[in-house]
Amino acid sequence: MGFLSGVFKKKEVEIASPASGRCVSIKEVPDPTFSEEILGKGVAVRPSEGKFYAPADGKINTLFPTKHAIGITTPEGVEILLHVGLDTVNLKGEHFTAHVEEGASVKKGDLLLEADLQAIQAAGYQTITPVLVCNTADFADVIPAAEADVTPGDNILRIKL
Amino acid sequence: MKTLEYVITDPVGLHARPAGLFVKKAAAYESSITVKNMENGKSADAKRIMAVMSLGVKQGNKIELSIEGGDEDTAQKELLAFLKENL
Repeated sequence: MGFLSGVFKKKEVEIASPASGRCVSIKEVPDPTFSEEILGKGVAVRPSEGKFYAPADGKINTLFPTKHAIGITTPEGVEILLHVGLDTVNLKGEHFTAHVEEGASVKKGDLLLEADLQAIQAAGYQTITPVLVCNTADFADVIPAAEADVTPGDNILRIKL
Repeated sequence: MKTLEYVITDPVGLHARPAGLFVKKAAAYESSITVKNMENGKSADAKRIMAVMSLGVKQGNKIELSIEGGDEDTAQKELLAFLKENL
């Protein structure tokens, strides 16, 4: 393996599920911002637990003050947006706890934020979580995984460089 | 180079759907377009969603667009109309 890894450049980046739950097509998200891929191609997770982990190594380049969405840039330049729930910007941070700060470097699997899923649902919001590649156009392809039950670390997106 | 200033009126700021549509629109021009949040001095390439969202533009913040290129006149006019209608 040794010398081969130096000869061939990495051709693919894998993005892991940020949460436990069910991975579904982005088309299942009842918000055209996501289902019409206005912010980029991706996939969604219906979380069964309110803990969200880093889907890849990278840098936190955006943490919204409302803590409902996080942007991570991987070393390969993939800009991943994790958006917990729909229209949850309106909660203004309530029911969300951030465990990272903007500018921090994270490793895949680091805890990024916690969300009280029950409270969010009780407030009238859906918790389905789109995971998107904002700079989709920079890559050859962004391929979502098939629908399946997932735990954090399971691959849900493949990006062809 | 053309510039334009606009104060965001959308209650959630430059976020999600309108931000995505704005970036899509900006990306359609040949001109290079920079957007600056006058509130905190951060600026970004208007054609990159993540960069634009990381400016932290909130309701009431003023943004400035700097547009430079062959279609800067059209871009200035159309982007202003888009901002007024959507943001």
